[in-house]
Amino acid sequence: MPQDRDPGPDAARTANHAGIERLMDTLLPSLIAKLATLHVGELEVREGDWHVRLRHPAGVDGDLGRRAGDRPSQRGHAGHDAVGAPAPARTTPVGPGPSAAATASTNGTQPALAPVGPGRAVDGAPAHEDGSGQATAHGPIALSPAVGIFQPGSAAIAGTRVRAGERLGAVDMLGIPQDVLAPADGIVTSIMVEAGTAVEYGQELVGIEATAGSEAR
Amino acid sequence: MFSKILIANRGEIALRILRACRTMGIDAVVAYSEADRDSLAVQLADEAICIGPPDARRSYLSVPAIISAAVVTGCDAIHPGYGFLSEDETFAEVVRAHDLTFIGPPPEVLDRFASKEGTRRLLGGFGLPTIPGSVGMIRDDEHALAEAERIGYPVLIKPSAGGGGKGMRMVRTPRELESAIKVCRSEAKSAFGDDSLYLEKWLDDTRHVEVQVAVDRYGHGVQFGERDCSVQRRHQKILEEGPTTALTPAARAELNERAIRAVVAAGYENVGTLEFLVDAEGKAYFIEINCRIQVEHAVTEMLTGMDLVAMQIRIAAGEPLGITQADVQTRGHAIEFRINAEDPAHEFRPGAGIVERYHAPGGPGIRMDSHLFPGYEVPPFYDSLLGKLVVWGPDRATAVERGRAALDELVVEGIVTNVEIHKALITSETFLEGRMTTNLLDRVGSAAFLAAAART
Repeated sequence: MPQDRDPGPDAARTANHAGIERLMDTLLPSLIAKLATLHVGELEVREGDWHVRLRHPAGVDGDLGRRAGDRPSQRGHAGHDAVGAPAPARTTPVGPGPSAAATASTNGTQPALAPVGPGRAVDGAPAHEDGSGQATAHGPIALSPAVGIFQPGSAAIAGTRVRAGERLGAVDMLGIPQDVLAPADGIVTSIMVEAGTAVEYGQELVGIEATAGSEAR
Repeated sequence: MFSKILIANRGEIALRILRACRTMGIDAVVAYSEADRDSLAVQLADEAICIGPPDARRSYLSVPAIISAAVVTGCDAIHPGYGFLSEDETFAEVVRAHDLTFIGPPPEVLDRFASKEGTRRLLGGFGLPTIPGSVGMIRDDEHALAEAERIGYPVLIKPSAGGGGKGMRMVRTPRELESAIKVCRSEAKSAFGDDSLYLEKWLDDTRHVEVQVAVDRYGHGVQFGERDCSVQRRHQKILEEGPTTALTPAARAELNERAIRAVVAAGYENVGTLEFLVDAEGKAYFIEINCRIQVEHAVTEMLTGMDLVAMQIRIAAGEPLGITQADVQTRGHAIEFRINAEDPAHEFRPGAGIVERYHAPGGPGIRMDSHLFPGYEVPPFYDSLLGKLVVWGPDRATAVERGRAALDELVVEGIVTNVEIHKALITSETFLEGRMTTNLLDRVGSAAFLAAAART
């Protein structure tokens, strides 16, 4: 895990031995562990004259914007690295086809997600394993990857042809942009939320009319 | 006072906090994971916001998601409940950095009490007796062996962080110590991200007694008496009551007074609990402080008539306590039964599923804090607490009678619960005579309790 200021072995032999030793032995390991469990991008601590800042290797957006599919066993570093790699064709939890239905059990997602508000599930939505009926009626929908403020991107205009995994905008979570990605190849039909609006996790943001993968290319 | 509070928790405590906010005329937003979309707290809330997927690390444990939810919904404070981020000083620090208030002790206070070993030394210095233990954290096996030798076997290996019995082992020999340290380190590491361990002298047949306190920002503190949490299973409390049957009234008064004096002197702030082990001779040893509202706070509320969650919110808002010790009068006896989705007949294996029927008992002195409703699906992702049945009576015998009737009246169908173990406990001689020790269930075995109850 890289650090902005590296209180390396050389520095450790200069002034304030006790402080540095404490920093290295107790503070740093616990900070690193803390950073891994907290899922914040950056952690900064002042300790006397010392000032330590820890940051996630790839920035936090790659991690936070990821699907929830990774299990608790993939804790800490390995988990981050595994999911932090660029994934242009990210699968979304909601969408047509058998793959979405297969992941639904671990994600706990429903065929449709309610908008911001009291957050009730769509009661009318039948709990069929086959979510495709729902998806055919409305087309695939890009969902919010985080709770924050929605900012549509240049591709989020009705009529724009997009590819699966293409960036349609971002949800700003405390200054960290989380990409909103197209769940399938298709044509943007509607922008469901205005720019600058607060959105919750899983909220429907951009509607898409699916086209067959080959046609999109 | 705050205008709007984000409730960053789930289950019965999310409801409890929502109710406190309503009473105080404060708006509340319930932050929930996708697994809790249909939860009672979300249904009853005026406003709710989904913060992430079921995996708690990306929802209830995600600092950016929770703070972002508070910011976009216009909250000025965050109530963390218990568990999750409730005692995390880094979270409290980040909350403050976003101009929000963490409802609990301020970050520097959480930091001061973060290490159990450090807290023992701190409060020991202010007059609380502590259990003999290792000086500082265990460095390596040799250090551990030397310290254990000095303290005398048996010793208890304890993690500096966390709770809930993870990373804890009692060992009787050097050989056991060496192998247990490795297990404890890895358990503590994966549960709390911190593998520092220390040793404590193991006391046989102890009682667990804890003192509820509240201290405001201005150093004014009161105690609300003690709770007895001796009925545990593998270091997890399942039944709590107050007052304790382990101490005489004079000894209880002395313990409570010493606790509040020490914690005020040490600079604590907000509601908190000081936990003690009481040995067979009635001598109490301080073990740790809980810097949060606890599951069993309702016992104290029944005994004192006070609203501890409201008090917690007021203290965090900077208000003075507004009461003195003389205003705190405990009356009668209260017992709390934790109703968990666990199967006592099968090693308390946790269960999940749909609640087909649910009926909460009623009557004088009965309180049921639960997020259950018929048709509710208990998600498999979180802890197994389904609710707390709390009963009050003018004396212990009446509380026990009411408890027995209320447990019989309670209906939870469709999922497995631990209600049978409570029925067995409350009719057992050991409990009726008030002689429960923390090792009772683990020593006798839950199966023996159930079998004994079945015979009567």
